[in-house]
Amino acid sequence: MPNALVLEEVTKRYGAFTAVDGLSFAARAGSILGFLGPNGAGKTTSLRMALGLVAPTSGRIEVLGSADAAAVRSRIGFLPEERGLYRRMTPIEVIAFLASLKGVPTGEGRRRAIRMLEEQGLGEAMRRQIRSLSKGMAQKVQLLSALVHEPDLVVLDEPFSGLDPVNQQALERLIRDLAGRGATVIFSTHVMQHAERLCDHVVLLAAGKKVFDGPVDDARAAAPRTLLLEGGFTTADVGALAGVEAFSAEAGEDGHRRVIATLCPGAATQEVIKAAFARDLAITRLEVREPSLHDAFIVLTAKKAA
Amino acid sequence: MSRLLRIALREYLAYVKTPGFWLSILLLPLGISAYAFAPVLMERSTPTPNVAVVDFTGRGLSADIAKSLAPASRAMRPLGRVVAAPGAPFVGAADATARLKPLLAPHGTLEAFAIIEPAGASASIDFWSRNIADRALERTVSEAVAAAVKRQSLAAAGVDATVIARIDALAPTVTDFSPKAAAGKVALKDRLPGIAGFAMGMLLWMVVMTGAGMLLNSVIEEKTSRILEVLLTSASAPEIMGGKILGVAAVTATVLGFWVTIAVTALTLRFPTIAGDLAGIFLARGMWAYFALYFVGGYLMFATLYVTIGAFCESGREAQTLLGPIMILMSVPMIFMSQAITRPDAPLLQMLSWIPPFTPFMMAARVASDPPIWQVAATAAMMFAVTALELWVAIPAFRSGALATGRFELRTFVRSLARRGE
Repeated sequence: MPNALVLEEVTKRYGAFTAVDGLSFAARAGSILGFLGPNGAGKTTSLRMALGLVAPTSGRIEVLGSADAAAVRSRIGFLPEERGLYRRMTPIEVIAFLASLKGVPTGEGRRRAIRMLEEQGLGEAMRRQIRSLSKGMAQKVQLLSALVHEPDLVVLDEPFSGLDPVNQQALERLIRDLAGRGATVIFSTHVMQHAERLCDHVVLLAAGKKVFDGPVDDARAAAPRTLLLEGGFTTADVGALAGVEAFSAEAGEDGHRRVIATLCPGAATQEVIKAAFARDLAITRLEVREPSLHDAFIVLTAKKAA
Repeated sequence: MSRLLRIALREYLAYVKTPGFWLSILLLPLGISAYAFAPVLMERSTPTPNVAVVDFTGRGLSADIAKSLAPASRAMRPLGRVVAAPGAPFVGAADATARLKPLLAPHGTLEAFAIIEPAGASASIDFWSRNIADRALERTVSEAVAAAVKRQSLAAAGVDATVIARIDALAPTVTDFSPKAAAGKVALKDRLPGIAGFAMGMLLWMVVMTGAGMLLNSVIEEKTSRILEVLLTSASAPEIMGGKILGVAAVTATVLGFWVTIAVTALTLRFPTIAGDLAGIFLARGMWAYFALYFVGGYLMFATLYVTIGAFCESGREAQTLLGPIMILMSVPMIFMSQAITRPDAPLLQMLSWIPPFTPFMMAARVASDPPIWQVAATAAMMFAVTALELWVAIPAFRSGALATGRFELRTFVRSLARRGE
C-alpha cells in the first residue's frame, strides 16, 4: 500500500535553534498515525512542514505522492491546534467557504455542510453566527470544515484538546470512520489513551528528534512490564527475585507491604511469579501490569532526555 | 471562480453585509451636510438681534445704521434690527450706558447698543454688545456711521448729493486673465481644477488609509483566531493577500461610489453649472484616469504594508506601536496638499511628489494643474516599482507572520522581511 506522507531526514532550524532534527517516518495510506510527544517536541512544526506551510531547512517531504504539498492541498484537510473561525459567519457559510477553497462548488459545499452539521447534531445551530455557539460546537464546526471536501489526508493538530469526554468519544468514532473510508489520518496529541485506542502506528518525538516509530504494541514493548505484589514480605525479598530490575514499595492494606516490581527487558513474567512462590513469599495479591503507551511515552522521552 | 476571488468575495461580503458599514459610510455625507448647513441653521434658529442707537450727534445716524443692518435681498435675514432705546431720552452717554447696560443681561431685550457722540467733524462710537465674539454687528454699525459722516461732510462742503452718490458707487472693475484659462478670462470653471485636485488628493488619502486600516484589522482578527493558518493550507500566501486586498478594495470602491453618487446628485440639484464643469474636468480632462492610477498605486502600497504588519500582530494595540510613526509620516501629504491649490508647482511640492509613499496623494493634488507629463510618468513608475518591491518582500513575510505566535517584535519583523519569510 502506498504511503500518504513520507518525511526523509527532515530538519528545520530557526537561526541557532533546531526545532526538528533529521525526522524520518512514513504514514501508510488509509492508516491512523499518532504523532506523539511532549510540549515543544516539534510536532506542530513537523505537521506544518508536511502541509507545506513551513519549508524544511533540509530533507525531503512527499505528500500524497507529490513533493509539493501545494499541488495536492485540495486533498488535504487540516485542523490547527489553536481554533478559530469567522465569528460573524454561520456554520454553513464557513464550511461552504472553506470547501470552496478546496475546489468544492459552493452549492455542493452548502449541501454537504448542512448534511454534516445535521449528522453532528448541529442542525439547530447551523444558521446562527459562530460567535453565538458554544466552544464545543465551534470546535465541531471547525473539524467539519476540515473534512467537508472529503480529503485523502487529514492532519489534526491536538484535536482532542478542549473537548468534553462525550465529544472526545464522538471524535474518535469520526477518525475511525475516516480511516474506514480510506483516508489517512495523522493526529498529534500528548494524551496517550486516544493514540492507544485509535492508532495503527505512532511516531514519538522528543526535543525535535524521533525516539520511536512503529506499531503501538511495539511502543508499549519499549516500556518494562511490572508486577504488583502485596503480602507479608520485605522489599529485599522481591528485589532478590531473578528477572526483577527495580522495585518500589509502599504501605498496603492491613499492614501488608505492597511492592511494585519492574521486570528486566525480556524477563518472562511467569518465571518471576514462579520464583516468588518458590521462595514462599506470603503473597496476598498479585497483579501483572502490561505497560501502557503512556508508560512507553515516559520511558522513551526520559531516555531521550538522558 | 479562483481562490483569490473567493477570498475577495468573502472579505467584501463580511463588510457590506453589516448595518454598521452602511451607517459609517453615511457619516461623511452627513458630516459635510452638517458642516454646510450648520451656519444657516444657527442663523435661522437665532432671533434677529435688537440694536439700540443713542445718537448725540444730531446727524440722524440711526437711520443709516438701520439701513445697513437690513438684508440685501428678501432671501437674506437682517443682521440686526434698530429699536428705540428703552428709557430715552438720556442726559448723556454715562446716563444712557447706565440705563441700557442691564438690558444686555442674558434674558435682556437688547443684543447691543451704540452710543454715538460728536468727535470734531467725525463721530465716536461706544459699542456695547452681549456677544463679544461676534464682531459683525459692530463692523456694520461702524461702517454705516463712517459712510454717513463722510457723505454729510461732503455735502457740508458743497458737494452735490448726486455727485456723492456717484463717488460712492465708484469702484474699479477687475477682470482676471490667465493663459491657463480656457477663454483667457479666468472664471470659476478655470479655478475648479486646483480645488478638484486637492479634493481628489484628500479623498484618496482618506480611502487608502481607511482601506488599509480595514485590512489591518481583518488580518489581525484572522491571525488571532488562527483562520490564517487554515487558509494557508487551502490557498497560497499571494492568493490570500491578493484576495483580501481586492476584497477591501471593492469595499472602498463601494464607499467611494456611494459618496460620489451623493456628491454628484447634491451638486447637480443645487449647483448644476459647477457640477457640469467638474464633470468636464474629471471626464474630458481625464482626471478620473489619474485618480484610478493613484488609487491603485497608493492602495496597493499601503494595503500590502498594513496586511504584512497585521500578520505579525496579535492585537490592534501591537499594530498601533508600528503604525504610530507611519501615521505621523503620512500626515505630511495632508499638510502640503492644500498648498497645491495655489502653488501646484512649488519646488517643495515637486520634491514631495518624488517620495513614493507621498506620490499618490501629492500628484493627485497637483495633476489638475498640468504638471510636466514626464514627472507624472516618472513618479508613477517609481510608485509602482516600490510597490512591486514591497510585494516581493511582503508575500513570504506575510506567510511567516501568519504562522508566528507571541507578541510582535520589531526585530523579528525586520528579520523576516530581510529574509523574505524564510
